[in-house]
Amino acid sequence: MTSENKKRWGMVIETRRCIDCKACMVACEIENQVPLGKHRNWVGQIGPTGTFPTLGLRFEPGNCMHCENPPCERVCPTGATYQREDGIVLIDYDKCIGCRYCMQACPYDARYFDQARGVVDKCTFCVHRLDAGQPPACVETCVGGARHYGDLNDPNSEVSKLLATNEHTVIYEEAGTEPKVFYIS
Amino acid sequence: MSEQGIKIGDVFDWELSRREFLGMGAVALGGLALSSLPFAPRLFSHDTSPARGNAHVPPVHFDREVYTLCEQCVWRCGVRAKIKDGKVYKLDGNPYHPHSNGMLCPRGQAGVATLYDPDRLRFPMVRAGDRGSGLWRRVSWDEALDYTAQKMQAIKQQFGAESMVFSSTHNLAQTQFENLLRAFGSPNYGTQRSQCFNAMIIANLMTFGMQEPGRDYSAAKYIIYAGRNLAEAISNSETQDLVAAIARGTKVVVLDPRFTKTASKAAEWLPIRPGTDLAFFLAMLHVLVTEELYDKEFVAQYTVGFDEMAQAVKPYTPEWAASKTEIPAATIRRIAREFALAAPHAFVHNNWRTSNFVNSFQAERAIAIINAISGNWEQPGGLFPDAGESGVPLGSIPQPPYPRVSALRLDGVPWKYPLVPLDIGVFQELRDAILAEKPYPARGWLIYRQNPIASLPERRKTLQAFSKLDFIVTIDTTMNDTAWFSDVVLPEASYLERYDPLSVVGDAVFIRQPAVEPLGESKSGLWIFKALSTRLGLQDYFQYTDEEDYLRQQIKPLGITLDELKTKGYYRPPSAGETKTGFKFDTPSGKIELASSSLAKNNFPTAPVWQEPPAPPADQFYLLTGKVAYHTQCSTQNNKLLHELFPRNTVWIHTQAAAARGIRDGDEVFVESAAGKVKIKATVTEGIRPDCVYMTPGFGHLSKGTRVSYGEGASDSDLHLTYTDPASGGQALSQTFVKVYKA
Repeated sequence: MTSENKKRWGMVIETRRCIDCKACMVACEIENQVPLGKHRNWVGQIGPTGTFPTLGLRFEPGNCMHCENPPCERVCPTGATYQREDGIVLIDYDKCIGCRYCMQACPYDARYFDQARGVVDKCTFCVHRLDAGQPPACVETCVGGARHYGDLNDPNSEVSKLLATNEHTVIYEEAGTEPKVFYIS
Repeated sequence: MSEQGIKIGDVFDWELSRREFLGMGAVALGGLALSSLPFAPRLFSHDTSPARGNAHVPPVHFDREVYTLCEQCVWRCGVRAKIKDGKVYKLDGNPYHPHSNGMLCPRGQAGVATLYDPDRLRFPMVRAGDRGSGLWRRVSWDEALDYTAQKMQAIKQQFGAESMVFSSTHNLAQTQFENLLRAFGSPNYGTQRSQCFNAMIIANLMTFGMQEPGRDYSAAKYIIYAGRNLAEAISNSETQDLVAAIARGTKVVVLDPRFTKTASKAAEWLPIRPGTDLAFFLAMLHVLVTEELYDKEFVAQYTVGFDEMAQAVKPYTPEWAASKTEIPAATIRRIAREFALAAPHAFVHNNWRTSNFVNSFQAERAIAIINAISGNWEQPGGLFPDAGESGVPLGSIPQPPYPRVSALRLDGVPWKYPLVPLDIGVFQELRDAILAEKPYPARGWLIYRQNPIASLPERRKTLQAFSKLDFIVTIDTTMNDTAWFSDVVLPEASYLERYDPLSVVGDAVFIRQPAVEPLGESKSGLWIFKALSTRLGLQDYFQYTDEEDYLRQQIKPLGITLDELKTKGYYRPPSAGETKTGFKFDTPSGKIELASSSLAKNNFPTAPVWQEPPAPPADQFYLLTGKVAYHTQCSTQNNKLLHELFPRNTVWIHTQAAAARGIRDGDEVFVESAAGKVKIKATVTEGIRPDCVYMTPGFGHLSKGTRVSYGEGASDSDLHLTYTDPASGGQALSQTFVKVYKA
């Protein structure tokens, strides 16, 4: 990849389109053979808030934020957690010693310990699919069309266009992690 | 083959029984050796104990991709089954199928766990102890089919063909199951429809002459739902359409006593009192008619009975409806006007399930009429004629005429329920007739992939009805509650392992085809019906050599080969897309019937009228049921991936009602109706009317042969009372009242 054509993978989630069906969670579990009881992505529920009959309910899907400034990488004593050139944060399982410092450091609780393999694991942005030109499994199956992915460096990508035309936020902006998962409500 | 019974449940272990069998006859079971079982590694990740560190790198290239059809619910999405090393690795939505558009819901995604469920039925079994004891004897297909045919024939000879009851749930092989029923000569047929939406079907038939018109979301500006909860009762493409419409700015109004996820997405949620949807829609009609907010030209040209209908809705003012619905009159009036302003790019959706009373038929009629007079027929954003499953002409398989049937149907169709179509029936009435042995006793029941013990109201009665029968056979993929209480269990191959008759959607035809080989000795429905018919001397009705031959006869008029169809999974004839002209409403008048002559003929009110629904006493609640996105009726609870998302149901109760009873969130409570009592955990929430409680249906399984779902949650069927609407035959599911108290 040449530097002038550098990709920066990111996600945009339109929360108003999320119906909490959790198809993304099942798709990810199967695609990535996640151990039963663990998940690499989630759908957070905020509410119902208020009192009957004036109520609100919001769903907030999430996964590893693939931070520009990832705290998990900084605390990793072996260099197992690293960031690819395209911004995706990954784990080198051969280097991971299972110390779980990264799980403490992650403000998003995006990581889990895989007991059987003795390593920490998390969302890879379905990097195997991306590298083959396919969408992440959670994005592909999203019934409400809430999850979007693409190259943040490409102004014509779906994610860039969504960010250019909508107000958006990230989670825990104050933590300075610079997440690459953006939310449109 | 051993004569000794094997126990399923407490002491039974499928693998143990396999080993027992291996000792007895290893040859027959060679293909079932544990190591060769096609389990996805995901489901057994704890067993395989990967080496430390060992990263799982998911495949991106597959040995094969098979385009087939999902059957995790009845919506039939197109799926791409990705095959690696002889196993289905993952399912993705088929982008060419209009029901999936490339996406699958959680149930569709979890299909691999249905396919590789360790509790799948693998071989035919005959009961070897009391019913429900869990004692079974493995038999060959020959023995199972010979025994079944012999019992069916004996019942026919001694008591008449009508003594054999048949029932089946909506599925692609249903036509051939019905073929077996008619060839055998029994009039007694049960489907699940009267548990779901008979009221909608019959009301639409009486009004439009079709069961369910299509809805155009793409240009809709205003949609009213009453109970339909598409965000949780997912009908994939329609759910996609709804979310897109909301994102586009379509105004959505939801009437529901419960704050559902659909309600949370709507512009306006109206927590209507259960059973009073009818009052709301009558008042809407009143406003539209009295304020002349309807399409006069359309009404004049395409409808009959306007004046009679207008007269009938005169008394139903919004002020009157406010006292029934607990929705302010001004709100009702405003919504009627908003709807009229948005028309014809607006529709009221047929409601079903959430608020289902004996008066629901009248509510459905009112909804149909609101749509009709708004002039939204064949308008962008309105209703349109749906060709259903007849959009592509398929070849039929030759067969002799059916024997004449003179016996009355046990379910009262048509002698008690003149408006209900024969292929739909009144299932709860069939059960009650078996129990009462009136008008005559039934002797046997052949059940095809259906679970009446879990699905019918008053489970105790269904179990008692079973005890009236000499012989019960269940064809299914798992040992569900109905199979558990049967005499013979015939294993059907899962939807990812078998062919079924073709599926027509719109102007294209889609195929269900095997992605992998059937597990154990399981077979397709097409194979089972043919094999059974041969033993019943009815082989002339099943003139196909195998499943592929059946499909070749079906595609004959299309001029394509089966291989061509299998490669892409679908075929769209070149004539598709041509505008069809000459549409005619299939009603007696050939027009939309605002006042129905068929209803008049059968002594039902011709135009919608108010029928006061019963209400619970002060210390009791309306019992509501309704779906979640993670399960389909009572059939997916044993799926490990879905169990992980939603393992058991709870009972929702409003904060104040809970406080008054000393109930805190998570407490165990008893829910008690006149039919029964269950113990269940409480979810205390603001998201429900204080006079209602809610349970997700389909839990509380009795079968120990479904080890994941056994003992999880409580059964709504233990609580539901049986009330049947005389017009539509629909079960009034919300007409059950319950007490709730701390356990």
